[in-house]
Amino acid sequence: MTAAADETGGWSVDQRRHEHLLLDEFHRLAETDPRRLEVRDELIQLNLPLVHHLARRYRDSGESMEDLVQVGTVGLIKAIDGFDVSRGLELSTYATPTILGEIKRHFRDRTWAVRVPRRLQELQSQVTATTEELTAELHRSPTVRELAERLDVSQADVLDALEARQAYSTDSIEADRDDDSSPGIVATLGDEDGAFEAIDERETLRPLIEALPERERRILMLRFFEDKSQSEIAEEVGISQMHVSRLLARTLATLRAGMTAD
Amino acid sequence: MTDIVTVTFAADTQNVALARTVAAAMAARADLPLDQLEDVRLAVDEAATEVIASAAEGATVTCAFDHDDSVLYVTVEAPTTATEPPSPTSFGWTVLSALVDSASADIVDGVMSIRMKVSSNLVDV
Repeated sequence: MTAAADETGGWSVDQRRHEHLLLDEFHRLAETDPRRLEVRDELIQLNLPLVHHLARRYRDSGESMEDLVQVGTVGLIKAIDGFDVSRGLELSTYATPTILGEIKRHFRDRTWAVRVPRRLQELQSQVTATTEELTAELHRSPTVRELAERLDVSQADVLDALEARQAYSTDSIEADRDDDSSPGIVATLGDEDGAFEAIDERETLRPLIEALPERERRILMLRFFEDKSQSEIAEEVGISQMHVSRLLARTLATLRAGMTAD
Repeated sequence: MTDIVTVTFAADTQNVALARTVAAAMAARADLPLDQLEDVRLAVDEAATEVIASAAEGATVTCAFDHDDSVLYVTVEAPTTATEPPSPTSFGWTVLSALVDSASADIVDGVMSIRMKVSSNLVDV
């Protein structure tokens, strides 16, 4: 049994011959020839069952089949374009790793979608919005209980959503770099020397802290040396409290890694 | 109300995430606002990392959480190879103590314990 028969539910000799002829034709046609696209379309149609078959392996990932088939098809097209008829391989054998590669890349690029089911993604944005709402109403950060009551969900759901926000690491620091209207690096640096005077590892720490992006450094100082709450920092820096929390966690991890590196 | 939760895991930093998750859930039970909940998460992360750093070979870390209506108590401990608790002037300790109301560390019979207490900063909810 060949790979082609496995993956596509058994092709007849004729079907395989037909595919070979199409592939042959496809690679002989000039890139500008409109017939080339027609042939490619037919090759795609012929192999869509393979894409579906491979995409189904990831059906529990939380990503829709439609999206998986779509990225898988990108892999199929790449395989068709790069296929070398003279090597005597079946297209399905050649295309399988390419299709899987595209699907996996899709997950890598969007880890968020893999780890966090859609329902939780929605709840996560509701929690974020409601946190801001309640913070404005209460003039302090809300509790999980208050969020759950307002959203009419369980406290466990709110916790899951909070956890999901923490896991969402693709939120890049560059994303809101442009809103950086902080009072300037020099003032912060001045504080730093004083602030760290008492710390044993200050010689190790100083270069690590200096290497931090300005905003991360500022948040670190505000939290640990001016004892501001995450909400206060959020307001001062102009980002969400959750973002402050994530940046703090990441900054501490960076410093810790730097200090134990020696 | 007694509502004690204890989590035990191998002294490996990859398990710290587990402790963070439980910490957040327990902070919610103590009705801490999100600010403090996230601080507790970071503090437990620091404490667990600290005890793991000097944990004895094959040691197990225990994180115990207890709370009443508005106060959360956390103890993180593991058998250690260290002879001194973390220095109060170390960076890790500076961070940890800034995140909670009070923190203390000691080593008794070869076990390092870090104890933390966080009171809800909500007055009269």
